[in-house]
Amino acid sequence: MFRRALLGLAALLPLGIGVARAAPPAPAELKIGTLYASSGPFASISMPVYDALKIWINEKNAEGGVFVKPYNKKIPIKLISYDDQSSTATAATLYNQLITQDKVDLLIADSGSVLTSVAVPIAKEHKMFLFDVSGTGGTFFTKDNPYIGLMADPVSTIWPKYIADFLDDIGVKNGIKKVAILYSTNDFTGTQAAAVRGFIKKAGKLDIVYDQGVPTSTSNYTVLLNNIAAHNPDAVLELGYVGNDIAFLRNLQDSGDKFRFVFTIYGGTEMDELLKNVGAAAMQGTFSYVPAALYDYKPNFGPTLEQFRAAWDKAYPKGSGVEWGANAVYGYMTGLVLERTLATTASMDQMAIHNAVFGLSGKLNTLDGPFALNAEGAQVGEITPLGQLQMQGKDLKLVAVYPPKFAKGKADLGK
Amino acid sequence: MLVGALFAGLVFGLYFTLVGLGLNLVFGVMRIVNLAHGDFLMLGGFAAYGLFSAFGLPPLASALIVLVVFTLLGLPIYYLVVPRLLAARDSEMLSIILFFGMSQMIEAITTIAFGATERSLPGRLLGVGPVILLGQRLPSSWVYSAVVSAVAVVGVYLYLYRTRLGTLTRAVMVSRDEALATGIDVHRVSAIAFGIGIALAGIAGVFAPFMLGSVTPAIGAGINIAAFAVIVVGTLGNPLGTVLGGIIYGVSLMLMQTYLSSWANILPNLLLIAVLLIRPEGLLGRQVRRA
Repeated sequence: MFRRALLGLAALLPLGIGVARAAPPAPAELKIGTLYASSGPFASISMPVYDALKIWINEKNAEGGVFVKPYNKKIPIKLISYDDQSSTATAATLYNQLITQDKVDLLIADSGSVLTSVAVPIAKEHKMFLFDVSGTGGTFFTKDNPYIGLMADPVSTIWPKYIADFLDDIGVKNGIKKVAILYSTNDFTGTQAAAVRGFIKKAGKLDIVYDQGVPTSTSNYTVLLNNIAAHNPDAVLELGYVGNDIAFLRNLQDSGDKFRFVFTIYGGTEMDELLKNVGAAAMQGTFSYVPAALYDYKPNFGPTLEQFRAAWDKAYPKGSGVEWGANAVYGYMTGLVLERTLATTASMDQMAIHNAVFGLSGKLNTLDGPFALNAEGAQVGEITPLGQLQMQGKDLKLVAVYPPKFAKGKADLGK
Repeated sequence: MLVGALFAGLVFGLYFTLVGLGLNLVFGVMRIVNLAHGDFLMLGGFAAYGLFSAFGLPPLASALIVLVVFTLLGLPIYYLVVPRLLAARDSEMLSIILFFGMSQMIEAITTIAFGATERSLPGRLLGVGPVILLGQRLPSSWVYSAVVSAVAVVGVYLYLYRTRLGTLTRAVMVSRDEALATGIDVHRVSAIAFGIGIALAGIAGVFAPFMLGSVTPAIGAGINIAAFAVIVVGTLGNPLGTVLGGIIYGVSLMLMQTYLSSWANILPNLLLIAVLLIRPEGLLGRQVRRA
């Protein structure tokens, strides 16, 4: 009797182990939560991210869902999204709602540092990993917060390195001595200004003759340009959002002032948008970052830039009111990181998500370039090259000019 | 730098006179607060963008079209909204709520129709490069905008003081009830003033791409704050006081940008608080207005 019972138990043992190892019951859908800004000053950088994320979700759902390793099957994605209207106060409420009411499985921040800044403490408090699309503010990434990872842009503390390196190297050789820095006072451009100021001062080759912050809402730069010109700088760095750059470049053209080196962030990053509002004549000769939307990286996962552009044009044809630009790449690239994360995570626990995201660091190459995080979750994989907007025939092109390993042309600093 | 800032502020302030002029006219005649004023300015900007994109019309031609169309647009809006509002016990407060709702609707509809991104007009349409005036360099578009603003101010002055309709309008501004008692068609006078107020906002919008870099559906709220600062400083309900308010606003903004640039965006609020605390009737006001 005892032997039969023992044999029966022995027969059940493998079954019992099998039950313990089986995948947990899979949910009917995977809830991804995010915010977007359909209006306000950040709409032009937010909507392309959101629209591109939807392309990725639609692609996955058309394939039956995204593969989730802990459940060992594909699960359809349900996107839960709210409009924060570019308001940090509204965004804070809605991030809380996504976590506590909607109970999303994965949380994606809205685009840009301003609207990400309120998500960082909320995600940390709720121990929810934050997929930070393009909030590059240096203060977001700290040793005591494992619940954040920057997806697309390099962290602002290193992002402007090539600007300073170019001025210290090529600039000094060509007689550039004095630099003016004009920046919008927010997490993103404030950090960029601090970084570039630090790089220039550390090298000690250039003299910063003008260094002023202005509110992000600034829409007229005429008097500021007059004041800058009074200091007679060779190089002017204007660090602002899209609306700031449009107003700055228009006012610069109107002022008749000429500087040998003029830099704006969005002249290259959202080139189509700037070109539409400013015109080629006002942008020609200025410098900007060369974003992934204009640089052909070799991905080891996901589509090439050309393939994604085709999908984008199909989803949002010309005249649809949705502009192509770097932020479109950032949104889709975030989807690709999510896809690899879900395919490799040990469980859906948020620290397991953290481990999976950090496990991709140094291994993943997408259409946005190499993905690498430092210990605090800041993106350090790719520092955006410096480019100059140059006329090629009748077209204005952004030509990578620095560093030499990325350069596809030579900078023209004029006289 | 100081002289440059003062001169630029003077010209920039003339543009902001145009921005606030319509708001003050509407408040002066109807004692209602049109919180959708900035959104009508935005629509003027989009109208100029559309007219240029579709027909290649320059801003000055667009301004004339906007003047006519927006004035006509104001008439039905007035009759639909304002008489019922004025019949209410607290029409000023209710007007804030109602026009705030209208502002949200206009912004939402424009966003749906045109998208949220920036729209602008080529700078060359109002001349490329600076103009030298009294030894100071100014963008030529600023000069055009200031001239149009001056023309609008003179036009409003002539309308109020040199036409019969203007005399009736001033009568309504002094006392709506007494004007009604003397047989003045108060609603007709008010409707025309409302139309003109909206048209002035629209014309300011035509030049917004040149003065503010670009227009988006969301610029209305920020414009309203600046416009309120201008008209409160200049005197609420006194359209011509707007000139003084606009110039003070423009000069103060340019001085702030020159010497305290990081704090420039608090200027409208500072001006509002300072005037309300020290001289609530406005710089040209004779006594405290009783609401």
